[in-house]
Amino acid sequence: MQFILNFFSTLNSLGAVVVMPFIIAIMGIIMGTGVGKAIRAGLTVGVGFIGLNLVTGLMGTYLAPAVVTMCERFGLHLNVIDVGWPAAAAIAFGTQVGSYIIPVCLLVNIVMILTGTTQTIDVDIWDYWHFAFTGSLVAIATNSIAYGLLAAVFNMMIIMVLGDLTAKDVEDSLGLPGVSLPHGFSTAYAPIAMALNWLLDKIPGVNKITFDLEALQDKIGVFGEPILVGTVIGLIIGIAAGLPYAQVLTLAINMGACLVLIPKMAALLMEGLIPISDAASGFIEKHFSGHGQMYIGLDSAVGVGHPLTLSVALLLVPISVLLAVALPGNQFMPFADLAVIPWMFVLITPVVKGNGFRALVIGVVVLIAAFYIGTDLAPSITIAAEQAKFDFTAGTQISSICDGGNPLTWAIYKLNTISPIVGIAVVGAIAVALAVYNRIRIKKVNAAAAEEA
Amino acid sequence: MRKFVLCCGSGIVTSTHIRKKIEEELDKRGYKGKYSITQCRASEAATMSDGHDAVISTTVLKTKCACPIIVATGLLMNRGTKEIYDQIESFFTPED
Repeated sequence: MQFILNFFSTLNSLGAVVVMPFIIAIMGIIMGTGVGKAIRAGLTVGVGFIGLNLVTGLMGTYLAPAVVTMCERFGLHLNVIDVGWPAAAAIAFGTQVGSYIIPVCLLVNIVMILTGTTQTIDVDIWDYWHFAFTGSLVAIATNSIAYGLLAAVFNMMIIMVLGDLTAKDVEDSLGLPGVSLPHGFSTAYAPIAMALNWLLDKIPGVNKITFDLEALQDKIGVFGEPILVGTVIGLIIGIAAGLPYAQVLTLAINMGACLVLIPKMAALLMEGLIPISDAASGFIEKHFSGHGQMYIGLDSAVGVGHPLTLSVALLLVPISVLLAVALPGNQFMPFADLAVIPWMFVLITPVVKGNGFRALVIGVVVLIAAFYIGTDLAPSITIAAEQAKFDFTAGTQISSICDGGNPLTWAIYKLNTISPIVGIAVVGAIAVALAVYNRIRIKKVNAAAAEEA
Repeated sequence: MRKFVLCCGSGIVTSTHIRKKIEEELDKRGYKGKYSITQCRASEAATMSDGHDAVISTTVLKTKCACPIIVATGLLMNRGTKEIYDQIESFFTPED
């Protein structure tokens, strides 16, 4: 018995790189993917982790010191490095909350379908990581895995309802019938976009401004490519830090490399998850369809290709960098997650109905919020990274726009820092209220559909 | 040798997800070794489409590409998969 306990504790101390492959392989075997496939999946996830670790290590080695020097020179305080959503996802899956998240979230979806509180069969297992991210931060704040898991559950419930409520818009503007986007990051911006859009409607004069940005993407899209963005930012920071030109060039190419390699490593991580994801989504689809009109919940990536989304995101890359430097009290240095800005807009674009001006304004507002939130959450995110045995240079903190800048994640986390009980109670009450509201709405929708039939 | 561009939001998650499905299906239909797939992001689809036979995309694409676009979102949802595979297959010629 003691040997088994020792084994698991040793395993746990080795960190996510070793633990995740085991968990994935076991889940695969339980879900019937076959032992060989399960083991290969688990190992692939481990390799993805190690790959991500290596690349963020590069960032820690080259970027962090240069940023520190640059800050000293100019009196800036940009010591929170943006490692990007792939690293955030790896960290989220690698914490204790993360290790339970897949079965927990599947259960939440099943229960919600059975209680008629959602119309969505969420097959996007990969994106459970957003809920694990919130949960991990809450677990750190409350020193309790149980509270963390509860926070993750409530986070998912809120997002599932928002996903249902925005499904019609998704269908209309993105041409995706039968699809909803219960995405922990993109969907959190839907209510904010609606509120800001409503506000802009009320301002006389401003409410008439509109411009068309869609053509921008075709003309200068090439400047948004990660390889160029990374190299250019590396150059700028190197020069700003006053480094000798040899080091500037080294920094630049390393940063270009990071922005290209991070996605490739994330692809490996994803590849390892696919057998689990397919088994889970197959299961839930097979046994839980036929409860009235159902949507399939997908990754909001399916909506990212919209030309307005891509153009505004492109414009916001240089704007973000300027904002980061100019905003008082901001410590967040955007870098790897400049690539995630399109995801913010997937549900903002339908709300503004193609109005480039409004999209830009809303984008700037949510980015400013994201930087301050990212700064505020950085200490906890850095702790979560350490728990997942994620390598980074000591002396700097890490964060990301997704989900380090996510307002919903931040709200849930902040409430729990006031007091765990109050936090969970308030978030839980909101989640349940939304679920009940959705249930009433779904009943009406299904009744109306049945009458027409 | 048919060349396909597989595009999604980031070039990572959704495209990796369906890449395996497409490869398995194409191999099953007897085209093993007769095609190549390059993954990319939505914003790169237009530039990458040069010299390829089709762009298979999981995300809405309204940019002009040098070759036809196949909408493959259905593969993520397991809906209409046969039609999508048939569409991809239609790019192979008898010489392949």
